[in-house]
Amino acid sequence: MAALCESFTLRGPGPGGGPGMSLEPGPGPDLVLLTERGRAATLFKISDQKPLGCWSVKHGQVLTCPVVCNFETHEYIAVHDDRVLRIWKNEDINLDKAFKATLSADVHRIHSLPQGGPVVLFKGGGVRTLDVLLEAPQQEIENVISDEAIRWSGAFMESQQPVVVFATEKDGDFFVYVQKPKLDSLHKYRLEPQESSKPLNFTAYLKNQTVTLLCLYSNDSVYQVLIPLQQDTEEEEQILPKSLLLNLSVSGSVLKGTSLVVLDKDHVAVLGSLAAPDKEPKECLTIWNTKFQTLQTSKALPLGTSGQLWCYEEKFFLTHGKVLTVIMYKCETSSLAAAVGKLKDSQTPGVSSFVNWDTLEGEDLVVSFQSQESVALKSESRMNLRSRRSNVAKVQPENFSVGQLLRNLKDAPTNVLEKELKQLMSKTQTPDLQAAIGSVVTALTNRCKANPRYYPQSFLLQIVETRDLSYSLCPDLMPIALEKRDFYLLQICLQRFPDIPEQMIYACLKTFLSISDAYLRMTEVDLDSVICYIDVEFNNKGVKTEIVENGFNAELDQDTCDTKIPRQSHSKSDVESCPIGPHRAALLNAILHSAYSETFLLPHLKNLPAQQVILFLRYLYYLYVKCSEKVNTTLPGVRSPTINQIIDWMCLLLDAHFTVMVILPEARELLSNLHKFVRAQVRFYSELNKIEGSLRELQRLNHLRDSQTYSIEVLEII
Amino acid sequence: MGEFEVHRVRFFGLVPAGVRCLACQPRGSRLALARTDGAVEVYNFAANYYQEKVIPGHEARTVESLCWATGDRLFGAGLNGDITEYDLSRLSAARGADGGGGPIWSMAANGTGTQLAIGCEDGSVKIFQVIPGGIQFERNLDRRKGRVLCLSWHPSDTHIVAGSIDVFRVIDVTSGQTVQRIMVNYHVEKVKRECVVWAIALLSRGTVVTADSFGRVQFWDWQQGTLAESHTVSTSAVLSLAVAEKEDSIVVGTSTGATYQLQLLPVKLGGSEKRWVRTKPFQHHSHDVRAVAHSPTALISGGLDAQLVIRPLMEKVQKKGYDTVLRKFTFPHRRLVSCARKARLLLFQFSQHLELWRLGSTRETGKDGEVLPLCRMPEHLVQLKSKGPEHIYCSCVSPCGTWLGYSTASRFHLYRVRCDGVSLRKVPKVPKLLLPAYQLQFSADSNSLFVASTRGSVHVLQLLEPGGCKHLHTLRPPSGCSEAVYLLAPSADGHWLAAVSGDWAIHVYNLKSFKHHCVVPTYSCAVSALAIHPSTNNLVIAYSDQQLVEFSIPEQQYTAWSRTVQRRGLHRCWLERDTPITHITFNPKNPSHILLHDTYLFCVLDKSLPLPDDSTPLMNQSTLKQLPETARKRQLHAFKICKKFQPLLFADLLDENSLVVVERPIMDFKTQLPLPVQQKKFGT
Repeated sequence: MAALCESFTLRGPGPGGGPGMSLEPGPGPDLVLLTERGRAATLFKISDQKPLGCWSVKHGQVLTCPVVCNFETHEYIAVHDDRVLRIWKNEDINLDKAFKATLSADVHRIHSLPQGGPVVLFKGGGVRTLDVLLEAPQQEIENVISDEAIRWSGAFMESQQPVVVFATEKDGDFFVYVQKPKLDSLHKYRLEPQESSKPLNFTAYLKNQTVTLLCLYSNDSVYQVLIPLQQDTEEEEQILPKSLLLNLSVSGSVLKGTSLVVLDKDHVAVLGSLAAPDKEPKECLTIWNTKFQTLQTSKALPLGTSGQLWCYEEKFFLTHGKVLTVIMYKCETSSLAAAVGKLKDSQTPGVSSFVNWDTLEGEDLVVSFQSQESVALKSESRMNLRSRRSNVAKVQPENFSVGQLLRNLKDAPTNVLEKELKQLMSKTQTPDLQAAIGSVVTALTNRCKANPRYYPQSFLLQIVETRDLSYSLCPDLMPIALEKRDFYLLQICLQRFPDIPEQMIYACLKTFLSISDAYLRMTEVDLDSVICYIDVEFNNKGVKTEIVENGFNAELDQDTCDTKIPRQSHSKSDVESCPIGPHRAALLNAILHSAYSETFLLPHLKNLPAQQVILFLRYLYYLYVKCSEKVNTTLPGVRSPTINQIIDWMCLLLDAHFTVMVILPEARELLSNLHKFVRAQVRFYSELNKIEGSLRELQRLNHLRDSQTYSIEVLEII
Repeated sequence: MGEFEVHRVRFFGLVPAGVRCLACQPRGSRLALARTDGAVEVYNFAANYYQEKVIPGHEARTVESLCWATGDRLFGAGLNGDITEYDLSRLSAARGADGGGGPIWSMAANGTGTQLAIGCEDGSVKIFQVIPGGIQFERNLDRRKGRVLCLSWHPSDTHIVAGSIDVFRVIDVTSGQTVQRIMVNYHVEKVKRECVVWAIALLSRGTVVTADSFGRVQFWDWQQGTLAESHTVSTSAVLSLAVAEKEDSIVVGTSTGATYQLQLLPVKLGGSEKRWVRTKPFQHHSHDVRAVAHSPTALISGGLDAQLVIRPLMEKVQKKGYDTVLRKFTFPHRRLVSCARKARLLLFQFSQHLELWRLGSTRETGKDGEVLPLCRMPEHLVQLKSKGPEHIYCSCVSPCGTWLGYSTASRFHLYRVRCDGVSLRKVPKVPKLLLPAYQLQFSADSNSLFVASTRGSVHVLQLLEPGGCKHLHTLRPPSGCSEAVYLLAPSADGHWLAAVSGDWAIHVYNLKSFKHHCVVPTYSCAVSALAIHPSTNNLVIAYSDQQLVEFSIPEQQYTAWSRTVQRRGLHRCWLERDTPITHITFNPKNPSHILLHDTYLFCVLDKSLPLPDDSTPLMNQSTLKQLPETARKRQLHAFKICKKFQPLLFADLLDENSLVVVERPIMDFKTQLPLPVQQKKFGT
């Protein structure tokens, strides 16, 4: 999981700000070097949030590229007026007196490499290491690029060799150059063109002798381009193929990125503005998991940014409003569970998490989401949307896919829609069948949302029962079922979905506990899990004489006497009969069966009303006692809860409502009974423990006795 | 090679006695050990911790404390009130002197080894002078109430600390006065139980270290009378304590079987302030650790579970060798079993009695690993109790099974076993020999008996029918010898006899002429077993450093095979074995085979096969069994090792395809030990 942590201001609103600003790592940890507005460079200590030094050029001179720090010598290097090089140390105050060298060509940028020293990239595409350059500052610099403009550049160390990679643009065509200044090698590549969109921002990292270039395109996607460094052939202008890495769309809204940085092999951060069709675009910083295609976290930046984003030492740097802000983040190795475990949180604005399992074509995906979004819209906006949709459809008319079909069916009558969808499901044999079904369910739920009277219960049930769906494939299904009080569907979902968010589990639990018995009796629920153990006949209390058969009744009796509560009063009401009806019990069993994480569930559980807590606890207590009746502590029946699930939920409930339970008078008796029962069980098991020790010892002694004191054996020696 | 019918015997009920005290020879390589039955043993560190000397115990002699004095003299003191000097060349308790203070609980030698201090039941501390030929009472130090359980000299010999119950005191040796008396529980409120100071040490800087029954190891400044440090190392008593010579490390033993090392370490790295820190806990014993010793390179502990554990301190070891591995010794390094091959009898030697058993038999045959049904069960024929308080030194049954002999410190007994094996008749008028006998060996034809004796001599007795014997000759090494003979090996044809004395010299005698024949070239290690080959008369010798040599008696030189072995070197795994070879025998039907065993393996050494080098696995029997016949050829090597029978006290060949092995599973005798201190274990 990646998470954005606290943020703080590195530099308040100053004269600076704006696009003429640049950040470079400073000479040590916790230091950054800020170059701004062509005049001054400032060294900041991040944790202290204060500048340590500031150097500026004389009036009339302009810093033309970011000031960098030579990590080996701890000198600062600046270029002003395109070709005047300045080198100075920390203790130098006046930049005018610093070392000066005038070069023969315009400098585009200096890259400082931790082990390789600074490398100078000239505007003509020439690259020199600083050492070579300083030997003869007036040396001639070749012009590599004709009239292309450098859009981006980066430098890496590869097998002790500095490598400079830069991207250029000419008339909408993009080229990538790879230069190794020490080897005098130069490669030129052409980026595979993308129709109707162009790269906005680049970032790159080096791994396994391959530079991975990530390009943020104007069609709100991140593409990945692999540039091999071990290239021997001197072919002219190879075309670099690109592959889609990430689609920056969040449940219908699209992130218009302006810059991106790579955090680790699975995570990228994108700064941009989130544009929903009906909402104001708002700027935010987002972290995406590229492995699972999920938005991991985001932070709204309401004051606007300059569009630039830097990232050093697990900190983001950006200008938010007029201040330079530092946002810390954590990025841990991603697992599937971590990626899907978080639910779309509608209460926190700006933070939106979404699981995109679709493996459909990128363009198509956007369309399908737009159509989903449009379903929810009022009818008057429909015309407008349709026109937009048709525009998009024109882009790839030949590709008729699930997404398109769904789009076409959007306005079809219910019976046609269901028929078509059933057909589609039976037809689809593609590897993205899961995704397609997810889209089908989403389409259905969207229609339900749009039309409150429409609810294809049997169809949904059929899909859920026959397909291996998961919550993340159709995140809207369970909320709709909950809204429609379709308890049967909810029960099936709870039983089948492996990844139900804790919030949803809680919502179901709350509904199951609060719904009236009369309503429940009328609904159809799968009673398989309860039918074998629940006492249907409430009035038949006399039949049950024993609470438990494990031989600690005396214990229980004795404890009961201690508290001087007549046994009759509590045992009949709390233990012997089930406190809830079989329908509710079956639904609660489904809850007990679902997977959850304690940390995420606990905060929700705290909101459960006290009466419901007690009811649930009473039921759990009942189950616990029921379980203990059997020696193997299991309940009969299919999908009946296990003792561990029961105990875990008991603990959870007690943890969540500790104080309430202490105060509530009606909880007292239940808790004291529960305590006595647990205590008796603990004693019982500790006794078992003793027996186990003795039996083991006996076994061991028996084993010893088995080994006779005399035998004649055959031994073969070869 | 073939199949053996193995008589697997586990009815030898040997219970080794617990270790009572240990004493490292100062600046020497020997360790003296006393057991609870009064037996004293000497282990030689230089010879792979070989149990070099054993002085059997005596009912009336318990040993509470052992001391080395003036270099190599060993003294013991016990609850009978005597101080005993042990004669290590004659392997007997030599001279005793009455301590004069009742039972002696503790004894300590001073730094130079010239004086012995004893702590007595009556609360007195007495000083004895070690003089040539014995000890002499010097004087009494200040007597206070309470038995003196432990003693320690200051390294400069000026003071003695004496620990008793609840208190220890410091005595000035010159004035004999108690200069400090410290209550160990003074600072602990309301202690009901008495606190026994079980062990004490006085360090050169004036620190007194005490180990007490409350599980504490405490460091006192005796001049101030203050407690400097207290470490509660155990919930039960700390029974023993030993300090390294450099005084930077202490080992303590507790009644739970755990031992702990405490080290004097700087508080800060490189700082000068040092404190005692409990560093390493070890749990090698199941019972009380009554004795610990601290050699320069190892922690040594002995417990009531009869184990001697030598745990090397790896930081003090320079190079890898035999002594860099944890060693545990439970069983003696000598034979307590003898076998009458023809009569299929086994004689077991206990400390004060002998048991004679007849092996069972079977009519079936089977495949490897099968247990055959018995047609006759083994039979316990006779139990022979030794008279008197002395423990048995050695015993033997003749190959035909009709003679049986044993020796104690002062008596030698020879019995005639009646054919049915049920009755014994004592042979009257056995010759008066110089006793004790250290080893008895019958000739192969059961016509003569060889008695290993002191000063390198071997007595040859002729056995006469129906039940008599006469002294034929005494064989002596021509150059004289002070040490006793501890191993004998007669040749099957009755021509030769090899004898090993305590100085590790092997003398070979011609029995026809009763002349000294030759000396095997000396080797700087103890001989652990030897035997003469029945057909070639080659003497095979196993040394305690695991070397094997073969010496041709007729030619008086090492055989070609032996030279090859020495040139090629033995397999690394063979040399790294734990215990010495204790018995060698031969297969008369296959002259190239030598059968040997130690406590953990039984080996058939086939001289006709190539020697294994370090790259091939030494134990390859299980691999070979999986290979087809044809593929086995290339894998065969000389050492055919079987580790199925453990711990192995004895193995011998009964006939060409039947073997007898005597095992003593550790658990079998552990159950016969008194219960250890009850430790609460979870759930029991």
